Amino acid sequence: MPAETLPDIAMMHSDALIARAREGDKNAQGKLVQLWYKRIYNFAYKFFFDHDLAMEAAQKTFISMHRNIEGLQEVPRFRSWLYTIAVNYCREEVRKKKASRSVSLHDLRPGENEESYRWEASSNRGENPEKQLRQTELSDLLQQCLMELSDEQREVVIMKEYEGLKFREIADALQISENTVKSRMYYGLDGLKRILESKNITKETIGYEV
Amino acid sequence: MKYKPDDATLISYLYGELDAKETEKVLGYLNQNPEEFKNLQQLMDVRSVLKHVEDKEVIAPPVFMDQGGHASRFWQANYFKTIMSIAASFLLLMVAARLIGPEISYSKGELRISFNGAVPVEQKQILPATTSLTPNEVQEMINTSLVKNNELISTEWESNNKKLQASLRTNLTSNSAKIDDLMKVASQASQDQVRSFVAGLQEDNLRLMKDYLQLSAKDQKVYVENLLVDFSKYLQEQRKQDLMLFQTRMSSIEKNTDQFKQETEQILASIISSPEGTIKKVNNY
Repeated sequence: MPAETLPDIAMMHSDALIARAREGDKNAQGKLVQLWYKRIYNFAYKFFFDHDLAMEAAQKTFISMHRNIEGLQEVPRFRSWLYTIAVNYCREEVRKKKASRSVSLHDLRPGENEESYRWEASSNRGENPEKQLRQTELSDLLQQCLMELSDEQREVVIMKEYEGLKFREIADALQISENTVKSRMYYGLDGLKRILESKNITKETIGYEV
Repeated sequence: MKYKPDDATLISYLYGELDAKETEKVLGYLNQNPEEFKNLQQLMDVRSVLKHVEDKEVIAPPVFMDQGGHASRFWQANYFKTIMSIAASFLLLMVAARLIGPEISYSKGELRISFNGAVPVEQKQILPATTSLTPNEVQEMINTSLVKNNELISTEWESNNKKLQASLRTNLTSNSAKIDDLMKVASQASQDQVRSFVAGLQEDNLRLMKDYLQLSAKDQKVYVENLLVDFSKYLQEQRKQDLMLFQTRMSSIEKNTDQFKQETEQILASIISSPEGTIKKVNNY
């Protein structure tokens, strides 16, 4: 998990904000969007490896949050509840994509047209550009490895590895048993191990490259 | 009994979500099973590799919240809008009905719908026929009408007859003029055709004569040439035959000369050998 920033800390300790939002405080709801938008977008981005689809899913998630937050039973369950909504929209997009069977030009070489955007938007702008470019390429390569997993394994791996949810929270979000979550996680990591081996990506080669 | 953790326990251990007691058991198991330990170590490596996937920076879109209370939402609710639209439709119908004042009545099997008050139906009364005319008057009326009718028909017939005759005359004159024109055109056309036919015949004859003469001149030439050739061949043949005849004649003369010469020699020899007898013989000759 990346190092915790101030917004991350605020996100983790936002129970009062969630309680206010649940009571219909629109400002609190707006602040929740500001706090959680990046996490939900990144979850969706890692799931689709597509900026547009991730934006779509993130926006739908927060519209749904705004409409339904008053029905949230327990404040501590907000995180898993929010990821439940996000996962459902991600699955819906996947279903739509499969049904339409259309391939956008962006899908042929994902992320290519965002080169400039990524460069400008990078938080590590002060670092060596070459190193930063390598880091971006590596990130895309690993993202492609993630895309080779099944949807079920990928959503569990992303929630655990990148979103830092506990197994109990993932089980809650996906509405499956904790053991099933762990099993999917185990097979997801095992699958990734084989995918990385086939692409000759190891801890050592990455250390050398970066 | 030997302890063997399942995949779920191993993954919990990997993420540090086991309690102390379970962790100790798994550690003991891993110490005894280096293969399993190695496998878990590889999964740890995969996790460390996965950490290199970066988060994307994204700016949350601006949020415009509706600060209105529950009352305003009640007015905007779909069910409220539906009910209100139905009620408004009924109200409109009622107002319209009130303005145009419809009346519906049913009497003696007749359904009547009317607007702006009922209008009484006009009852038409059938008046009885008058019987003041006598048969004679009727007969006179028929006769006068017949006479009028006949007069009218006769005047119409006359006028029609005049029109018919006039139209016949005009048709006849126009037709005769047309026929005359046609005859003139036909006669002119025939003279032209005869001339062109004769000219065509003359041309054909001329062409035929030319062809014939050309052909006959060629044939005659060929014939004379052949005749000359044949005549020269004949002369050559005749000459050959004459020469052969002359040769045979010459050879026969030569033969006769030789024979005569031999006989003469023999006679001379015999004369020389017996002059007396020979003289006698010669004398006998």
